[in-house]
Amino acid sequence: MADRALADVRVVDISQGIAGPYATKLLADAGASVTKVEPPGGDYSRRLGPFPGDVPDPEQSGMFLHLNTGKRSITLDVSVPSGHVVLKKLLAKADVFVAGERASTLASWGLSYDDLEGEFPELIVAQVSPFGATGPYADYDGNSLTAMAMSTIMYNTGEPDREPLTTGGAPGEYLAGVHLWLGILAALENRAKRGGGDHVDVAMTEAAAAADEYNTAMYGFQGAVRRRYYSRHIFGYPQDIVPCADGYVVMIPGAGGFPTPLTKDTLSPMALLLEQPELNEHPLFLSAGERMLQWREFDELIRPYMSTHTAAEIVMTAQALRMPFAFVPNAADLLSDEHLEQREFFVRVKHAKAGEYAHAGAPFKMSETPLAVGPAPERGAANADVLGKELGYSDDDLRILSDQGVI
Amino acid sequence: MTQHELPLEGIRVVDLTHVFAGPTCTRILADLGADVIRFESPNRMDVTRNLIITDNDGLDHPWHRASYFVIRNANKREMVLDLAKPEGIAIVKKLIEGADVLAESFTPRVMENFGLGYEQVKQIKPDIIMISLSGYGQFGPMRDFGAYGMGLEPASGISSITGYAGGPPMRSGLSFTDPYSGFMGAGAILTALAYRRRTGKGQYIDLSEQEAAIPIMGRALFEYQMNQRLPDRAGNRSPWAAPQGCYRCAGDDRWVAISCVNDAEFERLAGAMGHAEWVTDERYATVLARHEHHDELDAAISEWTSQRDHYDVMHTLQAAGVKAAAVLDGKEALLDPQFAARKQFDVIEQPLLGKRPLHKHVAARFRRFETAPRRPAPLFGEHNDEVLREVGYSDEEIATLKESGVVADAPNVPVPGQFLSMALKLPYDRYVEAGILQAVEPDYREQLGIAGDGAK
Repeated sequence: MADRALADVRVVDISQGIAGPYATKLLADAGASVTKVEPPGGDYSRRLGPFPGDVPDPEQSGMFLHLNTGKRSITLDVSVPSGHVVLKKLLAKADVFVAGERASTLASWGLSYDDLEGEFPELIVAQVSPFGATGPYADYDGNSLTAMAMSTIMYNTGEPDREPLTTGGAPGEYLAGVHLWLGILAALENRAKRGGGDHVDVAMTEAAAAADEYNTAMYGFQGAVRRRYYSRHIFGYPQDIVPCADGYVVMIPGAGGFPTPLTKDTLSPMALLLEQPELNEHPLFLSAGERMLQWREFDELIRPYMSTHTAAEIVMTAQALRMPFAFVPNAADLLSDEHLEQREFFVRVKHAKAGEYAHAGAPFKMSETPLAVGPAPERGAANADVLGKELGYSDDDLRILSDQGVI
Repeated sequence: MTQHELPLEGIRVVDLTHVFAGPTCTRILADLGADVIRFESPNRMDVTRNLIITDNDGLDHPWHRASYFVIRNANKREMVLDLAKPEGIAIVKKLIEGADVLAESFTPRVMENFGLGYEQVKQIKPDIIMISLSGYGQFGPMRDFGAYGMGLEPASGISSITGYAGGPPMRSGLSFTDPYSGFMGAGAILTALAYRRRTGKGQYIDLSEQEAAIPIMGRALFEYQMNQRLPDRAGNRSPWAAPQGCYRCAGDDRWVAISCVNDAEFERLAGAMGHAEWVTDERYATVLARHEHHDELDAAISEWTSQRDHYDVMHTLQAAGVKAAAVLDGKEALLDPQFAARKQFDVIEQPLLGKRPLHKHVAARFRRFETAPRRPAPLFGEHNDEVLREVGYSDEEIATLKESGVVADAPNVPVPGQFLSMALKLPYDRYVEAGILQAVEPDYREQLGIAGDGAK
């Protein structure tokens, strides 16, 4: 078996849902030991589904299985004093403590960085919250949608006369998870060199706003405010999803697709693709600015070809003409995609209760320490191991904690 | 306790990336303290040096003035080298000898043609960490596909679940997977650095932008495997919340996002809007009923929000304990009090451009150190001499390299600067008229509090 990059990192994670668990999944897949501390009722992602046959089952929730690979689970109510005591014993052996609560909630549990710093000076306290642990909105609540709203991304996604749209798939949560993971790794690097724990404070809003491409730049450097215009870039048209005979493709002529002042005497790739050489002289082929404003007319020029060719024909022909067109797959297409299969992207993982599913595999391939996706844990499966063997609680102690509803 | 040093102080990054994803990755490393030296070619400058030229003017040297470039390349140094010449490659190799990380974002095969494939680079620096950021990865049938960011969000599947109910798949209003994979790439390098610290071993990282974003498809991937169903495009709605949506507010194109994930939150929403009776209304009393009657509920919520300012709605609902946020445009984000309190925008002094706001790339805030940029973005080839001297080239050798065109400080641009500098190809008022831009405000620097000297 290959080496694990983070084999020496121990994480205690009380976060639930998507952002925090995605961060610790990335650590666990790289070999960190992640102890997931679930409330006695379980991480709420055990209730998000999807479920086989739509029958809720906390051990078969797709989101839970997806986000908690390679972790072990214990149950513990960290909001009550006896649970707090147990958690502190776990923190004494941990490098990183991950929480997904607002500052006021964490402080009410005595688990903020300020509460823990004195006792655990080497502990990295990583916290992801909707708006961040400080500032006037620190107590505000939110989720992926509110993060995307604040990020400026949503304002520019969608049609001009309709409401702004979020990107699909809870992207604000994943962005926050990725930035929490990045922050933890940076704090670990810092601690290795200079010693000392840290507070890693990630706001979901700021994680999404970090992805801004040029909305704030257009104002900060030009005084221009960009509107929502069919999710289109301001740089030119088309760079868009366009219907074709059997679905959709992304039509991206790229830097060389249309005639330029330097290339206007040869037939452009777009004219070749559309099989209409006369278009090379068309005003909308020659002026990027006019093409953007008169896009409806341009769409008429491409319709005859697009409506009679398949996505595969269009994309392969365009790529051969050195234009970076792309496919628009859905989940089923991805799961059967030949390119992804040859790259062994999807990984089949067997779970004792849920059975076997293809999981999205490593988001990047490391030559020496490839990420490995293990099964997600059953709720509280590691209670005996962690609380009994590692922390030394006796069977009687565990029974009492269980009777009190703490574990 | 605040320290002066940053986590990656002493780490040197040779940065052969360009455009968006790669420079985002290396900007994060720079913000964490690494010495990032980026490279451009005199024959092929980074195309983002042509995007969103400050004040949209056509002044000389537009390539020093592009905000798109400045934002992702602050905190880095830069050399301009002709990599088609063996002397150019020799300089890169010299720098790799003293580097910890090599990052590149060419299409596969280009690095090997330069003699800079991982196996070759490993001969120069055995413990190097090398990352290749590409559209579809370094192997597989689509590896040679040309790839732009706007194609890779759809390629990752995300566009299939983005869009209005009943409508076609949509892209986000940005090349979403570019920054996303840049963030992932930075984390991949930090993971590799942790391993190297413990074992002394470097490694190679193959990051496919398409793959990096596929985990966002988690729910859809499981829904399909469990129930052979593909999630519908659903606008802003979610199976996990009702009501959830984006509602029109008072003013020109102002909106607020609201989400209630359980009955308690809905009760607070109903109370805040003066509709306590909704809680017992059988159309709305349970989450299932609210999903069923979502259109009616949306109409009622819109009636309330459309009379009010979007920020007022946000503050009122948040005070009542409801998830809500104003949908911000680029200007509003720059002026938002929460972003200001947490320094989301660092103001740098950029040569020729004066004070400018840059959004943070490392979202995490730390107690021990701050990730604000320590230097502006480099001018084209600004650090040629400085870096060459550091690796032992004499002034004479440097002069020869410049004479022979191996090293340059201006691009060999075959078209006039005026043509290059027009990020938008027509006057701005035409875009305002078409509804692509909201407005152009000449006093924007005063509004942002960044007026003053420095802009030339």
